[in-house]
Amino acid sequence: MANLNLDAYDIVEHEYDVVVVGAGGAGLRATLGSAQAGLRTACISKVFPTRSHTVAAQGGVAASLGNMSPDNWKWHMYDTVKGSDWLGDQDAIEYLCRNAPKAVYELEHFGVPFSRTEEGKIYQRPFGGMMQNFGEGPEAQRTCAAADRTGHAMLHTLYGQSLRYDAEFFIEYFAIDLIMEKGECKGVVCINMDDGKIHVFRSHIAIMATGGYGRTFFSCTSAHTCTGDGNAMVLRAGIGLQDMEFVQFHPTGIYGAGCLITEGSRGEGGILINSEGERFMERYAPSAKDLASRDVVSRAMTIEIREGRGVGPDKDHIYLHLDHLDPALLAERLPGISESAKVFAGVDVNKQPIPVLPTVHYNMGGIPTNYHGEVIDPTADDTNATVPGLMAIGEAACVSVHGANRLGSNSLIDLVVFGRAAGLRAGELLKPNQPHAPLTENGQELAIERLDHARYKKGSQTTAGMRLKMQKVMQSNCAVFRDGDILKEGVTMINDIWQQSNDIEVTDKSLVWNSDLLECLEFDNLISQAVVTMEGAENRKESRGGHAREDYPDRDDKDWMKHTLAKVDFDKKKANLTYRPVHDFTMTEEIDYIKPKKRVY
Amino acid sequence: MSSNGSDMRTPLGKVRGLGSAKDGTSHFWQQRLTGLANLPLSLFFMYSIYSMAGKSYQEAMAFIASPLVSVMLILFIASSVYHMKLGMQVVLEDYIHGEKMKILLLILNAFFATFIGIACIFSILKISFGA
Amino acid sequence: MVELALPKNSVLTDGKNWDDTSGSSNIKNFKVYRWNPDDGKNPRMDSYQVDMDSCGPMVLDAIIKIKSEIDPTLTFRRSCREGICGSCAMNIDGSNTLACTKAIADVKGDVKIYPLPHLQVIKDLVPDLTNFYAQHASIEPWLKTTTVEPEKEWLQSPEERSKLDGLYECILCACCATSCPSYWWNGDRYLGPAILLQSYRWLIDSRDEATGERLDDLEDPFRLYRCHTIMNCAKACPKGLSPAKAIASIKEMMVERRY
Repeated sequence: MANLNLDAYDIVEHEYDVVVVGAGGAGLRATLGSAQAGLRTACISKVFPTRSHTVAAQGGVAASLGNMSPDNWKWHMYDTVKGSDWLGDQDAIEYLCRNAPKAVYELEHFGVPFSRTEEGKIYQRPFGGMMQNFGEGPEAQRTCAAADRTGHAMLHTLYGQSLRYDAEFFIEYFAIDLIMEKGECKGVVCINMDDGKIHVFRSHIAIMATGGYGRTFFSCTSAHTCTGDGNAMVLRAGIGLQDMEFVQFHPTGIYGAGCLITEGSRGEGGILINSEGERFMERYAPSAKDLASRDVVSRAMTIEIREGRGVGPDKDHIYLHLDHLDPALLAERLPGISESAKVFAGVDVNKQPIPVLPTVHYNMGGIPTNYHGEVIDPTADDTNATVPGLMAIGEAACVSVHGANRLGSNSLIDLVVFGRAAGLRAGELLKPNQPHAPLTENGQELAIERLDHARYKKGSQTTAGMRLKMQKVMQSNCAVFRDGDILKEGVTMINDIWQQSNDIEVTDKSLVWNSDLLECLEFDNLISQAVVTMEGAENRKESRGGHAREDYPDRDDKDWMKHTLAKVDFDKKKANLTYRPVHDFTMTEEIDYIKPKKRVY
Repeated sequence: MSSNGSDMRTPLGKVRGLGSAKDGTSHFWQQRLTGLANLPLSLFFMYSIYSMAGKSYQEAMAFIASPLVSVMLILFIASSVYHMKLGMQVVLEDYIHGEKMKILLLILNAFFATFIGIACIFSILKISFGA
Repeated sequence: MVELALPKNSVLTDGKNWDDTSGSSNIKNFKVYRWNPDDGKNPRMDSYQVDMDSCGPMVLDAIIKIKSEIDPTLTFRRSCREGICGSCAMNIDGSNTLACTKAIADVKGDVKIYPLPHLQVIKDLVPDLTNFYAQHASIEPWLKTTTVEPEKEWLQSPEERSKLDGLYECILCACCATSCPSYWWNGDRYLGPAILLQSYRWLIDSRDEATGERLDDLEDPFRLYRCHTIMNCAKACPKGLSPAKAIASIKEMMVERRY
């Protein structure tokens, strides 16, 4: 505090009932939900809403509409539990799958341009791990699609809808920190990128909808903006993050560029081929084949490459063939990835295979919440104790519906179902326009101090340099397959980088659109998440879903059927891991707890 | 996001401005219509110039005075002058940004076109009905 | 030549040369527009020598490399890096496009990079899009229905749905709007190609029940009829859409409902 010159900053104060941080699918759905509930709502985003990473989602949004094959929300629930490798909380999964059809119809009524069946209904495609009859098969066509631009169609539609309501948007505002008092969240401190003014948003409920932190890794499908700012703010607020070791590798990122090729390409009939021309997924997943769950396909591809059956001059990737499919089908249902393949791999999908590689794609872990979106910070006597005034939704949250591995197209449904739930819950908990008690602690000064510190600190390293070091360590030591020794080394290396992070100097000192400074703050956010990810991975001595340990190849339900909860002591720069039980119950009596069994596709 | 200057209206307020004029389609349509009409009419006009080339004053007057030629020439004048007026209006709206100057020029444009049109038509009528 | 909106009372000057330090023989020159409102100086063109052997193929890769390794103060918007978010729209080699999908190899000689033309610049390559976004909001871009909503989806035939193709893919990058001379001259009143394309997306949606009101709001010498089919929009669109065609279809609807 000593050197902080508060007068150097213009401070603007705001009072809202609800402040949503993030304007992706979940943030926008929560924003319009709480505005509908009559609450005074602000939505803060570091990018214009339609630039949020939801826009890049391709394949679709899962809901058991049954438009194209028999379906039932219970089958969807079974698949999601199995996909999560039984680490998902089944009450939350039940909430998700029951409410999914309603949420998709709502999106359709909002105006999402879904592709259509001949009867004029929403078109649904097969997706990985989605089956009929409680996993028995055949495959379920459950993933509602707008060609291969579903996320784009959803995000633009949700943004349009949100303009109808009296929610105020603060665009290109960067959230620095939460204001916490006595374990309650009282608001959010932001910087307006446009002029460098500090904006203090007081809130009765702050909703973190800040997305994932894919940019901790070197090669990811995530946008540059996916830096998990909400996760990091929550960590700094002394609240734990859950299951951070579970990072999903998408089987088909374009080799080199890392851009996503939707799983829907395999849903529409695409197949993976190794250097021997073999459709190798038949060996790894005899019934689901190329449409097995993402973790299974990514591991299979990694093994093929490792055993010398990769393609290309360095035998370090795999081919995704779409060239056997009807060009008309490609043009109608997969136009976006056809374009991406052309631009980023120079490939004509009608004639050539796309070179692909498993690429970091999604974070199952995040801010622990219940299925209303309320953030959980377990106490000694209540493992489900909530943090007053704080919610989290979307990829930032760990509800946990995805457990150890998310099924494709379950993320878009997660956004809208829990975005809606958060809006509803805020409506239940709050009366509009209640006064805000004056702050008694120095929460807002702490946030400004963080900014000021980053702005003026002296050092010998650049943000980009440190970020690259972190990304390389995460990529090499926390990959598809993990091993005890490599993880131990990774823990040391990533902690070293964290220790050195004080040595960064920001070159740009201006207050207008200082992206050098913001990238420094983003790196600061990333590194703490990288640390808890690596520590969590080293600590979890079993293989489950997206976390595959070579030294512990089996799932261990006896010792590890539990969520990891990682907190951080920022003064000592040290992560501390504890645990939280997985919910072994469902939400209603309509469906029983689905007991763990071997996960075979 | 920036919004600068002394104009303190909200961005949406600025964009909505005075609202839609609920007009413009007739202008658009008439411009196309006159454009279309100008095709045969200007062909006819060129034909009439060609017919009169090398002829004496009296012969030319007689040619113009014939009913079909008079009607066609009047149509040509009306259509092309109106087309010119509409086109000039677009140019003025495109490039003149001072509100007062724009209105003044639009008025002058209307006056000028009307004057030219009436004067030409009057001349033809005068020839046609025998001077 | 692009028409830049320079800050008041300023001229564009030559800037700093950032020479290569890698010793690479494969160097490409990037000339980038720089302006910081904080320093009170004229805008300038900085010149960066970038080692192509350690640079990705796209212009965005190069400017990220410049920011990471040469000059951290270079300021621009970027996010998805795959041409879907629309953040990194800028004027490269004389035309408006997305830096993330523009291959460096497609530019002969030095790569000249300016912000999108005719917008106020906030800093470097970051233009002020406030008016553009407000115009988008002004067309009320949401599905309007009066009929009681069905329990399930509104039905729409594949043929009706296919009318939205070529429209719903718009990413609001503003490349088309800022390449349109009509929008340069009358951007305060003319909605411009992007927003009119968005309008048509709702006009032609078979589920929408407010077509007439939407047309009413558009029928205006400035909002709609400033389009003179110059076609720069279709040439600029990095997604290969044709706003000009959408605008022509709106004009057709306008005429159709009269006669």
